[in-house]
Formats: sequence, C-alpha cells, structure tokens
Amino acid sequence: MKVLALRAAVLLGLLGVWEVVAAPLNPILYVAPSAIPGALLRVFRVGELPPLPEHVWLTLREIAAAYALAVSAGLWLGFVLGLQKTLGRIYEPILAALYAIPSVVWYPSLMLFFGLGPASKIAFGLLLGFFPVALSVLAGIRQVDRHLITVAVSMGAGPGAIFLKVALPAMSATLVGGLRAGLALSVVGVLVGEILGSRAGIGYLINYAYGLFMTAEYAGLVVLVGAAVLALDGAAGLLEARVRRWAS
Amino acid sequence: MGKLKIVGCQALSLAALVVGWEAAVRLGLVDPLFVPAPTAVVRALAATAGEALPRLLDTLVKTVIGYGLAVGLGVTAGLVIGSMRTVHQVCIPYVVALYGVPKILILPWIALIFGIGLTTAVLSATLFAVFPIVLLVAGGVRDLDPALLTVATSMGASPWQVYRKVLLPAVLPSALAGMRIGMVFALLGTLLAEMFAGIRGMGFLMQKQAMAFNAAELFAATALVSVLSIAVVVSLEHLNQRLGKWR
Amino acid sequence: MIGDPRSLVTAQIELRDVGKRYETVSGPVLAVEQVSLKVRRQEFLTLLGPSGCGKSTLLGMIGGLVAPDAGQVLIDGEPSTGPNPRKVAMVFQDPGLFPWRTALDNVGFGLELQGVGGARRREVALGLLEPMGLRGFERKYPRELSGGMRQRVAIARALALDTPILLMDEPFGALDEQTRLLMGEWLVGIRRRTQKTIVFVTHSLQEAIALSDRIAVMTSRPGRIKDLFEVPLPYPRDLNSPEVTDLRAKLWDQIREESLRAMEGAP
Repeated sequence: MKVLALRAAVLLGLLGVWEVVAAPLNPILYVAPSAIPGALLRVFRVGELPPLPEHVWLTLREIAAAYALAVSAGLWLGFVLGLQKTLGRIYEPILAALYAIPSVVWYPSLMLFFGLGPASKIAFGLLLGFFPVALSVLAGIRQVDRHLITVAVSMGAGPGAIFLKVALPAMSATLVGGLRAGLALSVVGVLVGEILGSRAGIGYLINYAYGLFMTAEYAGLVVLVGAAVLALDGAAGLLEARVRRWAS
Repeated sequence: MGKLKIVGCQALSLAALVVGWEAAVRLGLVDPLFVPAPTAVVRALAATAGEALPRLLDTLVKTVIGYGLAVGLGVTAGLVIGSMRTVHQVCIPYVVALYGVPKILILPWIALIFGIGLTTAVLSATLFAVFPIVLLVAGGVRDLDPALLTVATSMGASPWQVYRKVLLPAVLPSALAGMRIGMVFALLGTLLAEMFAGIRGMGFLMQKQAMAFNAAELFAATALVSVLSIAVVVSLEHLNQRLGKWR
Repeated sequence: MIGDPRSLVTAQIELRDVGKRYETVSGPVLAVEQVSLKVRRQEFLTLLGPSGCGKSTLLGMIGGLVAPDAGQVLIDGEPSTGPNPRKVAMVFQDPGLFPWRTALDNVGFGLELQGVGGARRREVALGLLEPMGLRGFERKYPRELSGGMRQRVAIARALALDTPILLMDEPFGALDEQTRLLMGEWLVGIRRRTQKTIVFVTHSLQEAIALSDRIAVMTSRPGRIKDLFEVPLPYPRDLNSPEVTDLRAKLWDQIREESLRAMEGAP
C-alpha cells in the first residue's frame, strides 16, 4: 500500500517538475504534460492529421501478420534444431551469432526488397520476433528433465504422449516467456519500420506530427502507443504467470 | 560428433550458402538488382571501403561514448536501486516499463531537441543500453546471498569494506552480463538514430544506399556492421569469462 | 488369482541368465552378469547391495526400461519386450512427479495414458490419496509438498495402475531416517491390502529386514546374486528380536566384503 502510494507520488512529482520546468521553455521542443490531453483529443478529432483509426488498424494488422509468421517460423526451426541433436549443434551457434547483431542493420535491406509498404514492416517484425521464439524452444527442450521421461516410459507412454504430456508442459514456462518476448519484439519491429519510412500506420502518424513540429500531438501519440504496448505486454505477462503457476 | 567436425559442418554450410547464392544469381534465378551475387558484394566492399570505413569509425565512436555513459549511469543506478529495499520496490516497475517501451518512439523528440548530430546519436545509444544494465545490476544485488553479508559483518568488516569486498565482486557477473547486452543495444541505438535523423555514420550510409537501390554496396555495408558487432560481442564475452572465472 | 493354489507357488517374475554391459569412456563396464532369479506371486523380495552393484539395472530390466544384452526376462511366463503398464508399475528414488500437475493429476497420469476418463481418474486418485494421509493436498503442486508426501504421491501414481507387480528403486533413499521408518510401516500396510508382488531395491540392511519375505544380496561389479535369505517373521517386526539380530549379522557379513570392494573400486 505504502509502496503504491510512493510509486504514484514519484510519477506525479516527476510530472509536476516537468510541468514547472517546461512552462517557460519553447513549447515546440518541450511539451508540458498538461498540453498532452488536449493534443490527444485533437488527434482523435480529424484535424490537420490523417484519420487515426485507419492507421491504427493497419499497424495492428501488420503486427498480427509479423507475429503469426514469427511464431510459426520460430517454433518450426526451434523444434527442428532442438530434436535433431546434430543439426542443433551445428546451427544453434550460428543462430546465436546472428542474434548478437543489432537487428536494425537488416532493415535497409528489407526496405530495398519490399519497398516502403507494409511488407517491409511485416518482414522486420517477423525477423525480430522470430529469434526469441526459436531460442526459447531450444532452451526449453534442454530443460526437460530426463527422469520425468523415464517415469512416463515406465508407465507405457509412447513418443506422442511423451511429447504432449511431458516435454511440452515441461518446457511451457520457457516457451511462453519466449512467445511473450517475441510479441514485444514484433511490435517493436513494425513500429521501427513505420517510423524509419512509411506512408501509413501509427508510426507514420508519429513521424508526420514530428515533421510538422506538432510536438504536443507527437507526444500524445507516443504516450498512447507506449501505454498500448505496455498493456499488451502486461496481458501477455498475466498469461505467462498463469501458465507457470506450478513453478515457484 | 567432435568439435572439429561441427565447425567443419558450419563452415561447409556457410560455403554452400555462398556458392548456392552466387549460382542462383548467375543462373538468373534471382534479380541482381535486389540480391547481388557474393562476388559483386565483395567488389562493392573493396570499392566503397574508402567511404565506409570512416563511417564505421564514426558509428563506433558514438557507440562507445553512449555505451560508456550507459554503463556509468546503469551500474550506479543499479547498485542504488538494488541495495535499498524501498527504492527497489518503488522504482523497478518504472525501469521495467521504460525497458519495455519501444525506444524508437522517443527518438524523434531527442532529435528535435539535440539536432541532427553527435549528441542525438550518443543519447540514443545510452537510452537503448542503460535499462538492461540497471535491471541486471539491481537484480544481481537483490540475489546476493545474505549469508555472505553476515559472514563479512561477523568478521568485523565496515560497511564500506562490505561494499567493496563482498557486494561488488558478487554483483560482477550480472553487471558483466548487462554490459554485454548493453553493447549490442548501444550499437543498435546509434545505428537507429543515424538512420532516423540522417546523422553521418553507417546507419545513414545503409539507409542512403537502400534508397538509391545500390544493393551490392548495401550488402557490403551490412556485412561490415555485422562483423563489427560480432567482433565486439565476442571480445566482451572473452573478457566476461576472464573476469567472472569463479562462477 | 488367489483362488488358484498354483498361483501362489509359480514364479511371477523370472530372470534367466540376464546380463548387461554399459559402454563408458574408460571402456565397457559389466553392470549385471548371469543373474537368474524367480520372484513368487505376492512375494516381497528385496535386492540388497552396495551402491553401483547393478540393482537398479536389474530392476530396470524387470520394468522393461533396460533391455538385457543376454538372457531373458519373463513376466507371468511371457518374455518381456518393454514397459508393460498393465502388469508392472515402478517407483524411483527421485519421485519424478510432474511439477505442472497437481497431486491428483499426477496420480491419474498412468490412467490418462490408458485413455481412462476424467471422472474415473479422479475417483481412483482420491481413493488412493486419502488413506495415504494426503487428504486436503489433492490440489497442491509438487513443490508445495514435503519430501515424504511427494514420494507417497509417486507411490499412489504407481498403485493407480493397479498392476500385480510393483517395482521400487530405493524409494525412501532420499528421505530422513524418521520418515523412512514410517514410510516402511506404511508400505507393509499397503502390501497387506493390495497383495502385490513387490521387488524392492535398497542398500539399507534395516529396511530390507523390516520389509522383506526374501532378501537377495548382490555382489558389486559385475552384479550377481551372492546369496538369498528367507525372512520368515510376522509383521510388524521387532527389530531388536534375537532372530533379527542374528539375520542382520549374517547379512552384514555378506555385504561388508562387497561394500569394501565397491569402496575401493569407486572412482
């Protein structure tokens, strides 16, 4: 209770300080927090800015496509490399090395292949979301306790039952963590793609507001998107906690 | 399967990829406008090295400055947040939230205030790198075995001695892990700022070449940055292993 | 089964000259060599021996988890070809409970594999857990249970298969002394109620004497059966009676040598 009060106090204090400091400064560079709600209303009401719902809808569809592809590809490659030990030992280090490269280096190439439209955003979201999913499958498979498999075999479990009733639940906590991280990164990928260059989507709107020095509208959109991203990740976190309630 | 055999298979796979790729271009299966042949990329690498290498250095300098700032800030904040219970409880949700928010959203604002130049790129690098360092250092302090503190105190160690001789060495591995992740994020932050704001460096160069459809030059630049980042990560890993040997 | 007088004398488990070798980095190791043994219906037989003497390998062969390199394992006169959950259930030293399943769902696991419906599984599991002193713990996850409780759930999981044969590989080895004694008493009760054939592996003399009808003392590496002792004493057994003291001395003589050899041979 006390902690919650302190948290709220810290947030309000920071906003207050900001408000006071920003008041005498150039509002094009420094937006006061109090200006944001009004700006957000302007964003919703069709004004100088292009209509919000259309752009949000496009971004959501890009994210959905990118994530669906990232999960399919990540699960597939993860299981192939995890279950074929030899393949895993050869290709997992290569996968890990690729993951160590800052992802944004791939974006210009994707833009060259797919142009400025949604395809390059989906491709980048797919690329970013893919790694945590694939790596979590590999880590999850390694975590399966061999003894539990022995127990299941002694009770007559065949390969199918071992996979469904032992391996999959045993790795579920790690896997769900990877799926959550993959979702967060797919969202980031699509947003980065849109902000670096696009003709539509929420990132385009952000860039548009920024380009016209509509800083309050820009800040309003950032707060909106940031809150949505945190809410999405929070929901994924609740799901993760539910899946792993048997652990710790 | 021996280690040598595995490395052999890896090398063979990569070689097969390069040869297959070259063949695909030569046989006209892919359009060299989009996917240039490896030989073309190598030629482009040689041709553009004069321009690309100074840009690579630009990017590296900004990354290192931003990274240094992030490490200083991140380790200090992590130690403070980790060692004080209330501060930890109050601050951690905010740090996690900031870590979770896509930093690209804030990049335009930084560019607006600090202009198109070194400062924006450095701050972007710091912004990307600092949160994982804070989280890992604070986590390392939290996970410290309280028995170690009891032992040290029972032997008459002063608070400062406890800090220097118990806390810091115990936190070192997680700090190093944070610093390794932070490096990749710092490089990412620099490149992204360069691409977004058109700041001189590899990010901008790659963006320019993509816009101009210079696929071979773009691939060469991508390869350069990739090799650089893998080299940096590998050397940090090496350092990690030497410093964190007791683990 | 009990109505047929022959069933009491025929062997339910028969090992014929079984052997097993393992390939290790330092060359092949003979874990078990030329073991022949008959376990009678409803008998409680203990394999006693020092660590690493091949007891677990032998038990694994009976359970169908380990394929012998030589010889044959017969269950009810038929050669065993693999795990046979209709006839043989196993309990291990590590309870091996599925951490994502509640106590109840762990007990129902074997029946689930056999396609038994949820209601029936619940009924069986509750019926087994209650007399084990686990009433009120049915919905708990393994991490919320004590070591002794976990092992009881693991035993309930094996009993749920309702097999005539129960194999137990040092099931109480990881428990503290007091819990171990209590679990032994409790196992004697289970055995009386269920009339199962039990093969039990332990390195504890005390446990072997308290529980068994017959004790097979094993040699270490290669594992062979050195001697067989009948324990014709009624339960509950007074572990300080002269018969028990006498038997313990005899067993100790047999096993001392083997333990010394195992210690010297240990890496």
